[in-house]
Amino acid sequence: MSTTQDLPPHLYGRGNRHDMGVTLVIAAASALGRLTSHLSARGPERVEDAGRVLTVERRTRESLDGSVVGLVLTSPDGGPLPRWWPGAHLDVYLPSGAMRTYSLCGDHRDRNEYRIAVRRIDGGGGGSAEVHDVLQPGATVTVRGPRNAFPLAPPGAGSTARRLHFVAGGIGITPILAMVTLAESRGIDWSLVYTGRDAASLPFLDELARYEDHVTVLTDDRHGVPTAATLLAGVEAGDAVYCCGPPPMIAAVRAAVRALPETELHVERFSPAPVVDGAAFEVQLADGTLVDIPADRSVLDVLREGRPQVAHSCQQGFCGTCSVRVLAGEPEHRDTILTDEQHPDEMLICVSRAAAGTRLVLDL
Amino acid sequence: MTALQDIGPVALRPRDVQFDWDGVPLHWMPGEPVATHVINALNLLLPAGERMFVSTFKEALAEVTDPEVREAMIGFMGQEAVHAETHDKVLWQFLDRRGIDPRPYVAQADFIFGAIGAAAKRLPAPARYRNLVERLAFIAGIEHFTAVLGDWILNADLESFGADPTMADLFRWHGAEEVEHRSVSFDVATHFGMGYVQRYVMFVLGSGGLLVTVVRGTKFLVHQDPTLPNYGYPRVLAEMTRAMSHGALPKWRSLAAASIRYLRPDYTPEVEGNTAQATAYLAKSPTAQAALA
Repeated sequence: MSTTQDLPPHLYGRGNRHDMGVTLVIAAASALGRLTSHLSARGPERVEDAGRVLTVERRTRESLDGSVVGLVLTSPDGGPLPRWWPGAHLDVYLPSGAMRTYSLCGDHRDRNEYRIAVRRIDGGGGGSAEVHDVLQPGATVTVRGPRNAFPLAPPGAGSTARRLHFVAGGIGITPILAMVTLAESRGIDWSLVYTGRDAASLPFLDELARYEDHVTVLTDDRHGVPTAATLLAGVEAGDAVYCCGPPPMIAAVRAAVRALPETELHVERFSPAPVVDGAAFEVQLADGTLVDIPADRSVLDVLREGRPQVAHSCQQGFCGTCSVRVLAGEPEHRDTILTDEQHPDEMLICVSRAAAGTRLVLDL
Repeated sequence: MTALQDIGPVALRPRDVQFDWDGVPLHWMPGEPVATHVINALNLLLPAGERMFVSTFKEALAEVTDPEVREAMIGFMGQEAVHAETHDKVLWQFLDRRGIDPRPYVAQADFIFGAIGAAAKRLPAPARYRNLVERLAFIAGIEHFTAVLGDWILNADLESFGADPTMADLFRWHGAEEVEHRSVSFDVATHFGMGYVQRYVMFVLGSGGLLVTVVRGTKFLVHQDPTLPNYGYPRVLAEMTRAMSHGALPKWRSLAAASIRYLRPDYTPEVEGNTAQATAYLAKSPTAQAALA
């Protein structure tokens, strides 16, 4: 490896002398480069990203008021499915093209089927209504995953916790149900506080009935809105808490757990927050392509559709992986990592934007 | 890792950690100044090294069509990028403010890692591809060691040496993420066609280089530390060995055993460390927890 750069100064500042250490490293790397340059290299295997088509095997009504439906998905050939562990979710691609993410709530030891449960939310994006209306037994659906952003670290197998405490709010019970199944199968001591508006809307009450010693059900209509203390009843320092539910509930639990030393708090790690106060603008790529960026989407999000290999990672403006050189235009920076010196020429395309109707020219 | 410890693959996500270095003493393991400087020496290398990992992965990502490999790479890059930035702050907000000037060492680290990337850019297309695979194999070799070190620090009783809690959390958070993503670089290099000989040659270069540069960095830090005598290399190595016997550093024997494990044709990074333990640590690390809020 030859270099046109000037060698850096000696470690102990001995004038303009070259540092033997640096010279040796460069010489060794250069020699190795020549030695291995004759090795053959094949490109990475090309893989068609088509997802996996599953069949809706059966549907079950999971709450008294009918707002939650359970779906059991199987492989069309009846064969085993990829393994999964409690906390995992599937990306489900609905016939309309919408994608929704649902936690697996069955028994992870059953290799032949996946179970998800979906609460119908009218007035939302329509995904849950589509699941309720269209995914009848026999229908097929494309999925990706399973993938686990909420892994369970069982006591005695990596965690030093003595017992597990689960906190579930409403449909947040789905990943917790799979965790409860694992805890039971391993004889781990556990408890669950399960909250919701009213008993009729809570899914899986019948399945949980057999664990009545472990489960406390709190509904707003009978018990009022629960406090952190009731959500964490019985939790002691050194336990592990797994919480899945609406953001205010998670925030309350987090604040309370922080006061307990050596106590684990596990929550699902979700994808990025929606764009706030964005305007529509235009991006021009190095090859001249023009791309419209709508007010409610990030540059990264739009570019990934056609170019899944665009470098990125956190999607929240803190890791810097998606930083791109700005060749023209004025970015509106929303990152938390680039310095003022970097800002005129660089931007993070996962969060930073531009003023309405303007154009950014990016080195991409 | 036993079957009970197997919690399956974990979706990798970077964590937006922030550390406050005010009030953390230079000898953050008070009774073990040389061991402290060995770990500080690693910190001198990390920003330049991990930035090279990210830039190499960006280059490789363009070639990857496998969605699982791509997703793992995306998680890996973000974690490594945050490690680089976090350790870079340690250089300036911690070492520099405690009278240790990291500039001469950092200039050399930047030079060496920069030269690796710059040389690749000048190569014609087929040679550049081979060079990319070599760099991926080099990264996989180093990541074998970072997983071993991550597993060590998650299990080490740093508190018995009076370790500062913020510094202990920094290296355990980092170590836990190294354990969490330990398979990624090996899988990526394999995906790009890394062969067995290439794997081991690049490992020897990477881990040997890591060892030499850490010892060199330790001597550099000890030399700059006004409270310590100006040890030569034999004394630095003797002090390191002594710290290892106390458990303040991983032992030579365990490092040698880890190198031999990497030789095994059936080697898999899965056996280096326990994902469940890393997950449990990240769920109680004060910094990783604050990053979630």
